[in-house]
Amino acid sequence: MKPRASGWIFAAPYLTLFMAFVIGPLLFGFALSLFRWELLSNVKPTFVGFENYTEAFRDPYVHQALGATLRFVWMAVPTTIILALVIATGLNAVAGKRQGFWRAAIYVPHLLTVSVAGILWRWFYNKEFGILNALLRPIGIEIPWLSDVAWAMPAIVLMTLWWTLGGPSVVLLSGLQNIPVSYLEAASLDGATPTQRYFRIILPLLRPVLLFVTVMHVIGGFQVFGQVYMITRGGPELSTRSLVQYIYETAFNNYRMGYAAALSWILFAVIAIFTLVQFRLMREERS
Amino acid sequence: MNKKSLRLFSAEVAMGVGSLFFVIPCLLLVLAAFKPDSEIVKFQGILPKQWTIANFQEVLGNPEEIPLLRWLLNSVLISISTATLVLTVSSLAAWSMARLRLPGKPIVYGTVLATLMVPGQILLVPIYLLLNTLGWLDTPLALIVPAAGGAFGVFMLHQFFLGIPKDLEEAAALDGCSRMSTFINVIVPLSRAPMATLFIFTFVGSWNDFLGPLVFLDSLERYTLPVGIALFQTSYYTEYGLTLAASLLCTLPTFIAFMIFQRQIISGMAASGMKE
Repeated sequence: MKPRASGWIFAAPYLTLFMAFVIGPLLFGFALSLFRWELLSNVKPTFVGFENYTEAFRDPYVHQALGATLRFVWMAVPTTIILALVIATGLNAVAGKRQGFWRAAIYVPHLLTVSVAGILWRWFYNKEFGILNALLRPIGIEIPWLSDVAWAMPAIVLMTLWWTLGGPSVVLLSGLQNIPVSYLEAASLDGATPTQRYFRIILPLLRPVLLFVTVMHVIGGFQVFGQVYMITRGGPELSTRSLVQYIYETAFNNYRMGYAAALSWILFAVIAIFTLVQFRLMREERS
Repeated sequence: MNKKSLRLFSAEVAMGVGSLFFVIPCLLLVLAAFKPDSEIVKFQGILPKQWTIANFQEVLGNPEEIPLLRWLLNSVLISISTATLVLTVSSLAAWSMARLRLPGKPIVYGTVLATLMVPGQILLVPIYLLLNTLGWLDTPLALIVPAAGGAFGVFMLHQFFLGIPKDLEEAAALDGCSRMSTFINVIVPLSRAPMATLFIFTFVGSWNDFLGPLVFLDSLERYTLPVGIALFQTSYYTEYGLTLAASLLCTLPTFIAFMIFQRQIISGMAASGMKE
């Protein structure tokens, strides 16, 4: 092929947008985090070095938001992975044609956009007339789902499981289907029981997919916002306010852009650390 | 019943019972939308005692205060434009990175890949200030254009283009095809499946985006469905019937699209998870 016009022409539209809306904002955001930058105030932006970061480390609201986010990740991610694995295994055991039907049934909640899903569950969780308490009342239980610090986060997590389990189940199902049948047949011939086959052959072969799904959910979990915003608005007593919600409120209710930018970088650092640790753990296990 | 069919049967029963957890809340949404408010705010059984379409009439009959169709139109236009723009610029860039002479390619592609790890929220504040300077806040551009800088489409299509045999492009070049016509007549037809997946993914992502429209838009008639509905809940706080009817209406298009494109959506999801 004779050399012709450089490939840059084709890449240029994307790279322009990439520079303008990814690299630029990334660098600008970091610079911003070194300034006291308040929108809607007369104070000119002033350079303050790492003051926003030191403020964040002392800010009790940051500790609280980080705690709530960690609790969300801790409660939601392992359950998601385990339940998705159970669902995928179940789906895989169902014969061909019916599988598509059940798979679609499990995926349906994900078609609801976050505000709709949130409104729906807010109604289920209503203490007086929600369906959950209506069903529990006859057996003498009434749970203050959204007004009690102990229940609010589990309530968010339950709704999240309902809303998001379809995705990882589908991914794990296709991982299961990619395992060559010959491996399983060979194991059966060697006298392996179904349980042995599951834990000795299927799970180890599924590990790359499991790692992928886990990492994606940890990353996603740290960014939780929509369902919390819709169901509890971060309450009661800010016990469910996530880091992203705190960043949102700092930037767009209080207009403290510099501080919000610093908080964003802290969130990024937390996510990066957790992701690296997971990759490291997986690698050590392998060797 | 032999052992194998017993296992099949019990798996099916387990799936049936398990899927109730996913399906019942959706059914409750549908049923509640047909209930009068009095039945919603006082639990009187799952089925409506008195079926009514008053909620829908009220939601749709008041376009000044509840511009539901307007929000739907905004959502459709924004999602289609975003997906089209992302597909166009990403596929051209991915192809040039996979195939064309691009001095410094490893650095460029490496940088693009590295940004896959950056969570979107970290860009929220700087992009807001940038859009403010551009005067794009409260316009659809604020949601459409920045999305096209994302790295996912380039990454996904780059991987796919690498797998297309080079001979085809070389033959096209020998026949005197320009680069652009090679791309359009040779590459695009071969890449329908991944391109459709990218389009659907971007469309769904844009359709469901909540934080973006919440931050970048602020007039009632410019909202997208997710933010419109959320606002609705705030102002019609006590009128659950209306809120649920509006919620059901705004889920219908998604549901219909899912029924049509179910295979592509699910196999795309699955495939995206298979790449390490």
